[in-house]
Amino acid sequence: MAIDPGTLLQILFWGLYAGCIYILLATGVNLIFGVMKTVNFAHGTLLMLGAYVTWSFFVATGINPYLLLGATIPVLLLFGVAIERLAFRPVLGSHKLNEIFLSIGLIYLFENGAALIWGSDYQSLRSPFESVVIDLGGFSLPLDYLIIILATAGMLAGLSVLLRRTRFGLALRATSQNRKAAQLSGINVERMDMLAFGIGAALAGAAGTLWAVSGQVFDPYMGSVPAVKAFAIVILGGLGSIPGAILGGLFYGVAESAATYTLGGAWKDAISFVVLIAVLVIRPTGLFGERGE
Amino acid sequence: MGRDRDSMKITYLILIAGLVLGAGLVAGCSTPGEAGDALKIGVVASMTGPASTTGRDMWQSAQLAADEINAEGGITVGGKNMTIELVQGDDESTREGGIKAVTKMITDDRVDLLVGGFSSAVVTAHQSIVAEKGVPYIVTGASSPTITRRTDINTSMIFHHCPTTDDYGAKTTIFVDEVIRPAVNAQFGRPEAQPLRLAVIYQDSPYGKGVLEAVNETIAENRLPIEIVAEEGYKMGETDFRSLLTSVKATRPDVAYPAAFLNEQVPMLTQARRDVGLDTIFLAVECNDDPDYYRGLGQYGDASVIESRFSPYAVPRGAISARVEQYRNDYQSRYGGFPGMMGASTYEGVYVAAAAVEKAGTAEKAEVITALTTIAVPEMIESMEGGVISFANPFRESRSNLYMEQLHWDAATQELRPTIVWPDELKETEFQLPGWYRPGERVTR
Repeated sequence: MAIDPGTLLQILFWGLYAGCIYILLATGVNLIFGVMKTVNFAHGTLLMLGAYVTWSFFVATGINPYLLLGATIPVLLLFGVAIERLAFRPVLGSHKLNEIFLSIGLIYLFENGAALIWGSDYQSLRSPFESVVIDLGGFSLPLDYLIIILATAGMLAGLSVLLRRTRFGLALRATSQNRKAAQLSGINVERMDMLAFGIGAALAGAAGTLWAVSGQVFDPYMGSVPAVKAFAIVILGGLGSIPGAILGGLFYGVAESAATYTLGGAWKDAISFVVLIAVLVIRPTGLFGERGE
Repeated sequence: MGRDRDSMKITYLILIAGLVLGAGLVAGCSTPGEAGDALKIGVVASMTGPASTTGRDMWQSAQLAADEINAEGGITVGGKNMTIELVQGDDESTREGGIKAVTKMITDDRVDLLVGGFSSAVVTAHQSIVAEKGVPYIVTGASSPTITRRTDINTSMIFHHCPTTDDYGAKTTIFVDEVIRPAVNAQFGRPEAQPLRLAVIYQDSPYGKGVLEAVNETIAENRLPIEIVAEEGYKMGETDFRSLLTSVKATRPDVAYPAAFLNEQVPMLTQARRDVGLDTIFLAVECNDDPDYYRGLGQYGDASVIESRFSPYAVPRGAISARVEQYRNDYQSRYGGFPGMMGASTYEGVYVAAAAVEKAGTAEKAEVITALTTIAVPEMIESMEGGVISFANPFRESRSNLYMEQLHWDAATQELRPTIVWPDELKETEFQLPGWYRPGERVTR
C-alpha cells in the first residue's frame, strides 16, 4: 500500500509526540533506579497527579497551561521528595519485594486519593493554542505538539546540564555508580536519593501537564498504562541508562504509531512488547544496559 | 557479572510485579444488607475505574427510583408491605471487579435481584455466577446481544433492558442511508445512488465488535448503498487516537462511526477535528448521551450525530415527556447535574424489579423470573415499542424506540446541545451538513 508523504510524516510525528511523554516518564524511572536501585511502580500515578495539579492551577488562575509547568514541576518535585522520605527510605535496603509492594500500595493510595480530591470523572484541558496550525507543506501541524516536543527537548537538555555540569550532578552520578564510594567521599547519599526521587517525580509531573494540554482526557486511574510502557522502555533501553530511556521512548512512540497505521489500533500496545521481548532475548540487559565485568 | 545478575533479577521482579498489578487487587465495595421486610436489589455499577461517570449515574438513578417507591409506601408482596433496599456492587470497571462484586452481593448480601451492569465485557464475565445461583438480573447498561443469547451458560434469568448493539447498529446504519447519504450526494453533486463511504472505528470488545457486525449485517440484509472503507479496532480505555485517525482519514470516508465509550469518544472526536483534520460527520453510540459528553466535546462536537433513547438535553414529544422532565428535575435537584442514559434505564430497572416481585407475590427467585418473563410495565422515561417494557420475546430483550440527535455548538452560550433529527415523527430540526464538512471522495464526473 502506497503511503503519501504527508500521511507518513503525520504518523511519524504522532509517534514522536507519544515518545515525548514516554521519555519523560521513563527518564524519571531510570533516574530513580540509577541512584536508589529501586523501581517505583507508582510512577504512572505521578503523571496523573501532574495532570491534575496543572488542571487545578488552570481552573483556579486561568494561566496558560504551558506556563503552569513552572508550578506543576516544583509541586511534584516536593511531592516526590516527600514520598522518598516518608515511604521509600524506611524500606530501602530491605528485601526488593518490600519496595515493589510498597510502590504498588502507593498506586492505590494515590488513585483513591485523587478520586477523593478531584472526583473520578475524567477531566480535560484546553490549550490556548488549540486552533493554531502550522502548515508544513505535506501536512498541517498543530502548534501544541511542536511546543510539547520542544518543551521535552528543553527539559532533557536541562537535566543533562544538571547531571553533567554541576557539582550536584557529579554527586548524583557518583552515587549512582558506586554508593559506598560516594558515601566515603563525603556525599550525602540519602539526600541524593531524595533529590533523585524528586526530579523523577517532577519529570512525571511535566509529562502529566503535556498529556493534559495535548487534548487527552485524564482520570485518577489513567497512570497504569503509561507506567507499564515506561517500564518496558526502561527495560528496552537498559536499566539505569538515561540515553537508553530517550532512545527507547522515541522508538516506542514511533513503533506504536506505525503499528496502529499498518496493523490497526488493536496492535498498538502489542507491537511494542513484541519488540521488547525480542530485545530481551537478544540482549537481556537492554540496548544501553550495563554489561558488567 | 554481579551487576549484570542484579539487573536481570530486577528485570524479572518488574515483570512479576507487573503481572500482580495486572491481576488487580482492589477489594469490591458494597453496602452490607440488613435483615427485615426489605426487597434487596443489588445494583451492579462501575463506581470506580474508567467507567465511573456512567456507574455513578446508574447508582444515583437507582437510588432515586428506590426512594420514590419507598416514599409511596413500598411494594405489596403476598399481602405484606416491603421496602426497597439497594446494595451497591462496584465492578471497578473490570471483569475481575464485576465477578467479586456480584459474588459478594449474591453470597454475602443475599440480594433478591440484580439490576445494572455496564460494559458487555464486564457483564459477560460475571454472568456465569448469576446463572449458577439463579438470581434474576435486569441488565440495563451492557448492550451486546450475547448477554441473553449466549448458549454456553443458562441465561434464562437474565433480562435485557437496553437496546442491543444489533438494535442501535442497525438503526444508525439505516439513518446514515436515509438521511446522511442523500444529503452528501445532493450537496456535492453526486449521483443519487452513489454509495456512502463509512469508516467504523470500534472498541476491541464484545460491544464494539457487536456494533461492527450489526452495521455489516444491516448493509448486507438491506442491500444498502454503503461501502465500509475502514474497520479500525482499538483497545478499551485508549485515549490517543491520532495515528488511528490518520489511518482512517487516508481511506477518505464520508462518515465515521465509532463504537466507543464516553472517555474514548471525546478524545477521539477532539483529536479528529483538532489534530488530524478529519472533517467528517462523526456518529456516536447512545451510551455517550451524557452531560459529560457535551461538556467534553465543546465546539468539536458541532454537527456530530448521536443515536439515543434518553437525552439530558432533548425530550422527545409524546406521552412520556412530562415524566422525563420530572425525572430530570428530581435528579438535578438531588445530585446537582443531569442524568445520563444508563441512569435512565437503571431507574426503570429498579421499578421493573419491584413490579416483578409484586406480580410474583414473593421474592422467591424462580417465581420472580417467571413474572419478569411475562411482565408488561407501562413505559416510564424512555419511549418503548408498544408503550410497555416487556421481555416477552425469545431473548428477553425490551424494545426501545430509538432516535437520532444532531449536536450544535452555540458560540454565544459556549454550549453544545442536541436536536432530534430522525425519525420523522419525533424530528425537531432537519439534519444539516456543516460548512467545514469535507466529503470522502472528490466527484470526478
